[in-house]
Amino acid sequence: MAMSMRRALLPLHRMRFSNLKNAEASLEVRYPQPFVVPVRTKKRYFIPPAVGIKGKAAVSADQEAKARAAGVVLRQEYMERAINIACTAGVFDPYIPPEGDARLSSLSKEGLKQRTEQIKQGAASQLAIRKIKEHDAEFTTKAFPVKAQEIFVDAHNALTQFNKEKLHSLVTERCYPEMVRGNRYKTLRWHFVESLEPPKVVHARCPDMVSKGNLYGQVTVRMHSRQTLAVYDRFGRLMMGSEEEPRDVLEYLVLERHLVNPYGMWRLHGKIVPAWAPVKEPIVKTVMIPGPELKPGEEFEELNYEVPKPKAVQWHK
Amino acid sequence: MLFAFGKTQKLPCIHTSAALDVNKNWDRKNLHMFPPQQPDEARRPAEVHHCRRQIKYSKDKMWYLANMIRGMTIDEAIAQLEFNDKKGAKIMKEVLLEAQEMAVRNHNVEYKSNLYVAESFSNKGKYLKRIRYHGRGMFGIMDKVHCHYFVKLVEGLPPKAEQKTGFDQAKNYVEQLKSRTIIHAL
Repeated sequence: MAMSMRRALLPLHRMRFSNLKNAEASLEVRYPQPFVVPVRTKKRYFIPPAVGIKGKAAVSADQEAKARAAGVVLRQEYMERAINIACTAGVFDPYIPPEGDARLSSLSKEGLKQRTEQIKQGAASQLAIRKIKEHDAEFTTKAFPVKAQEIFVDAHNALTQFNKEKLHSLVTERCYPEMVRGNRYKTLRWHFVESLEPPKVVHARCPDMVSKGNLYGQVTVRMHSRQTLAVYDRFGRLMMGSEEEPRDVLEYLVLERHLVNPYGMWRLHGKIVPAWAPVKEPIVKTVMIPGPELKPGEEFEELNYEVPKPKAVQWHK
Repeated sequence: MLFAFGKTQKLPCIHTSAALDVNKNWDRKNLHMFPPQQPDEARRPAEVHHCRRQIKYSKDKMWYLANMIRGMTIDEAIAQLEFNDKKGAKIMKEVLLEAQEMAVRNHNVEYKSNLYVAESFSNKGKYLKRIRYHGRGMFGIMDKVHCHYFVKLVEGLPPKAEQKTGFDQAKNYVEQLKSRTIIHAL
């Protein structure tokens, strides 16, 4: 490498000595000029890709400033997506089912009292039904519950087949994730055996969302029927329920329709679970419940510990 | 409006993945569904596939650990990895615990200790390249190694390896010798 350096510097040496012929020679010796050696570094044939990216962030900022200085106006990029809201976020003024519903027969005294209460229905519901009839000519308290039951059966059949498009047309956007969450990798087998009592409209409300004229109609239908449900997990093992044994089910379904929209359809919006509903049967597998928080040094006393039970509150799903 | 002023509006891109050519087959195995079993069939054991990508560790060094826990019950595997001094052991333990949690929560596994390691292996991830400077202006390309680690947990007890006794092996050998024939003989 020393030889190559010397060969490269030879022309420079020649240049230096050519100037020394005049009287400046004496000056050269006392004040040596800075010597710039134009020697190239060894050419790298491989440059790792990361080296190029380091300056890129600074470069893009420079480019933006240059573009602005030149007068080029870049329109702001909006990351927007239009969302279509066609249903309300929940159940407004939920129906509170009377205690002991479907437990007392119509022939006893308490049963008769309950029936009369149910028939009265309440003034707000009547007002709401009248409003609904203004917008939807075909709505009747007699024919609607049958249609509601059909929608319910179709929606659950679509859920077992997981037919997304049909399910979206039968069920509102609020109800869809509640029905579908966790079920994608499970097999559901559901069968509607028969209806024990004819379904009835028990409650109706007409809330308006956001602006004043935007009316939505919510109708609660009471249904007493017999159904079978079996849930299988991803590997085909039975998780819950059974296919042969039908169960009697009392349900309060909430159906909703965007009344102002002429193409609106009555769709399942949710269910109301009363506070006095019987406890659901436990799943087949054993589940670990997190125990009480212990301070360091404490020990877990099995005999004194009681598993906390959830409060019996009405909730709607 | 799609055709306002003759200019089409770009739909905002929501996909932000670093490399699109990554192989996600192992994660897809978790989405495989089986049809419901008949009541007389034997209960199908649950399987959980889990992996961690681009671990900053060598695939050859990871191989030793992956080989060690192959076939162990999950509790045994976690215990062995906890007291192993290698860097990869800590990462592998995290992966196993994550997989166990996933199994109990999402894949309907009843007892979290009732799992064993059916498959466990590691392979090469994407390497970053850097320059390693040598003398005399020479250089070498330094690879910053990364590896992927895959594990499959299955419900139940691990299958027992068949113990072959010396007598059994000798018997097999003698039978092989006796069953020799001469081909194309008269």
